[in-house]
Amino acid sequence: MPDRLSYDAIVVGGGPAGTAAALVMARGGLSVIQIERGRFAGAKNIFGGVFYTHALADVLPDYWERKPPFERPVTEQGYWMLSPDSALRIMHKSEQYRQEPAGAYTVLRARFDPWFAAQAVEAGALLITRTTVTRLLKDARGFVIGVDTDRPDGQVYAPIVIIAEGVNNLLTRQAGLIASDLPPRYVALSVKEYLSMPPKELQARFGLAGPREGVAIDIFGDATLGLPGTAFLYTDQAGISIGVGMLLEEFVCHRLRPYDVLARFKNHPVIRPYLEGSESREYGAHLIPEMGYDRMPRLAGNGVMVAGDAAGMVDALHREGTNLAIIAGKAAAETALAAHAQGDFSADFLSRYRRDLEASFVLKDMKQYRRMTDFLDSTPGFMGTYANLLNDAALRYFTAHGIPKRSMEREIVSLLRERRSFTGIAWDMLKLMRAMRG
Amino acid sequence: MSERQHQPLDPAIEASLPHVKVDDLIVCLKYYVDETQAHICIKDQHICAECDPKPCLAFCPAHVFEVDRHGHIMVSYQACIECGSCRIACPFHNVEWQLPRGGYGVAYKYG
Repeated sequence: MPDRLSYDAIVVGGGPAGTAAALVMARGGLSVIQIERGRFAGAKNIFGGVFYTHALADVLPDYWERKPPFERPVTEQGYWMLSPDSALRIMHKSEQYRQEPAGAYTVLRARFDPWFAAQAVEAGALLITRTTVTRLLKDARGFVIGVDTDRPDGQVYAPIVIIAEGVNNLLTRQAGLIASDLPPRYVALSVKEYLSMPPKELQARFGLAGPREGVAIDIFGDATLGLPGTAFLYTDQAGISIGVGMLLEEFVCHRLRPYDVLARFKNHPVIRPYLEGSESREYGAHLIPEMGYDRMPRLAGNGVMVAGDAAGMVDALHREGTNLAIIAGKAAAETALAAHAQGDFSADFLSRYRRDLEASFVLKDMKQYRRMTDFLDSTPGFMGTYANLLNDAALRYFTAHGIPKRSMEREIVSLLRERRSFTGIAWDMLKLMRAMRG
Repeated sequence: MSERQHQPLDPAIEASLPHVKVDDLIVCLKYYVDETQAHICIKDQHICAECDPKPCLAFCPAHVFEVDRHGHIMVSYQACIECGSCRIACPFHNVEWQLPRGGYGVAYKYG
């Protein structure tokens, strides 16, 4: 077939993993086609909001001069533990965070992803939007040799396909890299609202000195009804990103409506004042693959590699994902370049991609937190119990009752014992440590 | 699913949940609706008829699934935000789920 559409490499998806891969391959001299189903790269993408720049610097050392559409640098961050009527807050603010380019920025994906994709286009990648890849094309040996799309005569061929399709990993399954669908126990469903607010008002409420400061807060406990999950509150340039996420299984088993949980969180007495007067601009939802290191797909097959959410590259504990995706996209691209140099596109040769990631923080971190989801799933009351406990203890500690402090301390201890035995607490802590240490 | 037994929710927490009209939320979203092709549909309505308690009616973040007068599940795919929850969380894997055709479906303005 002389007139068939052929490239050196095909990238499926216009998110961070796909764009990083397209950019690095294009710079390496390959002809690259990147296919995105949305009307623009990022049209389908949504996340909580914190983006880590180290990965961007890795693929685009001069990214700062290219004026990325960041919202606010994260200059203060931390955790709030909510009980139904209180909050215990642990926040970290530092002048060290104020140096720009900062290590972390809040980002809105429908703004950021198109900018990032444009950098790959500038490097020479061909970006095709509004096109859904429907299946992989394989040759008689089972090598992936291209993709079919929903365009008329939409077959595109290349000796290498990088799948960066996101959490709904239809092609990854078709490639045979993962055996079954993700169970709802290992996927989080997150819902988010973007609320607009004049920057001056926003800065006054969150104690920010100006547009070059921002807050990122992760919130536990009552925000997710005490169930395993987290909520977040991040400041954007002229608005707030607020959301809640829980394992999908929780929504199923308790018949919870995600938007009800979000509305309840927004109405919490500690949260509500921050949102007062803001305007809801957008609502969205997304799945987060939290299957962890042990349930990731194989990362390479004959003529194919997979990166980003499709490969389950998420560190939920540190709300990291886009940075893992970018590093993985780059690593896959470097392997593709080496494969072209060698003329070898076998799974065997492409396994180099996994070895590179094993050596980087991507798979090291995923390995370390391989038990995290199971830990949360096996101790479903963990967050609620301890968030309530800490708040009740704080209330006793900070209140002058006219009783001796010794009695107050005893009260706190008995509060603890009412809800969880000492052996229970010891067991929880042991399991938590195990989940953290890997 | 999971081996663990799910404790019922604390009734006080259950009672504290508001009932939000999801239409008020999705009204801000920009959709390009594919009028000719639904990207999600029910494989077998009989399976849904037997399903109790139909968790999709709750967990879908865009409330795409609803029961009609005859007890059939209606799918308002036009409101779908393509998260994929129904694809993996339907207890009977009874949802036929494809990506919308290129360019169709939700298009976030902020994300």
